[in-house]
Amino acid sequence: MLSGIAAPAPALDFTAEEERRILRHGPWPPALLPDPSNRVSGKPAAIAFGRALFFEPRLSTSGAVSCATCHRPDRTWTDGLPRSRGQRIVDRNAPGLFNLGFNRWFGWDGAQDSLWAQNLRPLLDAREMGVGPGGAARLVRSDRRLSCGYRRAFGAAPGADDARIFVDLGKALAAFLETRVTGRAPFDDFRDALARGDAAGRARYPAAAKRGLRLFVGRGNCTFCHFGPAFTNGEFADAGVPHFVEPGRVDPGRHGGIRKLRRSPYTLLGRFNDDARRSTAAKTRHVRLRQSNFGEFRVPGLRNVALTAPYMHAGSHETLADVARHYSTIDEERLHAAGERILRRLDLSARQRADLVAFLETLTEKEPRRQSVEKTGNAVCR
Amino acid sequence: MARWRLGGPVLAAALVLAVGQAAACPRPEGWTGGASIAGETWTAWWRSEPAPIPVGAHFSIRFHLCGPPVGRVGVRGWMPDHRHGMNYRPAVTLDGLSGKAEGLMFHMPGRWQLILHVRGAAGRDKLTAETVPE
Repeated sequence: MLSGIAAPAPALDFTAEEERRILRHGPWPPALLPDPSNRVSGKPAAIAFGRALFFEPRLSTSGAVSCATCHRPDRTWTDGLPRSRGQRIVDRNAPGLFNLGFNRWFGWDGAQDSLWAQNLRPLLDAREMGVGPGGAARLVRSDRRLSCGYRRAFGAAPGADDARIFVDLGKALAAFLETRVTGRAPFDDFRDALARGDAAGRARYPAAAKRGLRLFVGRGNCTFCHFGPAFTNGEFADAGVPHFVEPGRVDPGRHGGIRKLRRSPYTLLGRFNDDARRSTAAKTRHVRLRQSNFGEFRVPGLRNVALTAPYMHAGSHETLADVARHYSTIDEERLHAAGERILRRLDLSARQRADLVAFLETLTEKEPRRQSVEKTGNAVCR
Repeated sequence: MARWRLGGPVLAAALVLAVGQAAACPRPEGWTGGASIAGETWTAWWRSEPAPIPVGAHFSIRFHLCGPPVGRVGVRGWMPDHRHGMNYRPAVTLDGLSGKAEGLMFHMPGRWQLILHVRGAAGRDKLTAETVPE
């Protein structure tokens, strides 16, 4: 077909139960509320300061690596590598940085319970940036532009407490990153047409995507984990992916993440939470460590998933077709499921796998949303 | 063990069917919602906050037990079709026969069981309610 106009998709009626499941993946975008644990969440001066910090290579010990090294804006805020390389190669894949404000846990292992704490992790890890609290605080105090940005964001000049300045950098970065919400995707138009009974709107959604969507909410059981408008339940799962980092060394995943969380001074239960009521700390207070957490990794959201290859926590799958094949032929013996029965070998045909990919591709935003930092201009000091 | 979903007609059926296994248990004063579950020794009324139970968000429950004195109550969630529990350990506070459990989360859509493990001088009991988070 050379006309460039897609033919109307043949009718594919979803059952009432399928429609109910589909409707739960919207509407998009949901309201994003300021993070009460971060006193500068949503504040334009902090967003601008955070943006400047994101591209600041002096926050690495080599002076050559910034957040943007692994989270490149021109590559959907990831780097396209299986395992990322900061100052050295790390164990995991760099996820695209968007829709972070909707997350419950941060990092593939959920070792951080807030976006601001997550932003501190690469600054502490020598393989990534490794500048640490002292180095970061010295830089902000001594650099005129960064010092001015800090003052505008936080209402006071950087003080003598290195740890406080360090955490504030995480909070400014969080203020910037939480503005990154993906725009509406073709799936959202279909979902909303379904919600309002708009037959013409429904018909515009490609037939292959509809068939893939039916698999997603039905036989594939994908919605148990990839639930809700962001297509993640925010928790952790063993997807049957090998978690050997190298011979003799495994990535413990969520099991290690919870142990790190409990040792960290940068959690919602600690002194750096700006919310005296600890209103978002229930997850941290009640999280439970189990043996089955070993080999579990965070369930990623699927919006813009077609733009963020490679996939899985260590980038072991190059394409979405590989991921569909993985779930189709999954080796149930490899799962550390401790008797759980969620993942089952799907035995999808080649066409069904292609349909699933066609659906996932409709989760790509049509046009990136304008971010608030662009609306407010660059308020950082010069 | 009785299994009920929250809701008007289902709740009415629950009230009828729950009778006879354990002590009769009137709805706690001031409650407008909730459901009743019965074990061998104790019967309980429970309700969630918020109601209905959301998928993937923390919630708490209040409960009131009818029967002999209670020493300890444990609360857990279980997804029978998947054979897994919750990722969070709720904290239970008990005041006589009434209590509250905080920090629960049903992290997947589908059928869940809310289970009260009751202990007292009269023995142990397991009260199970079935519910589908919305």
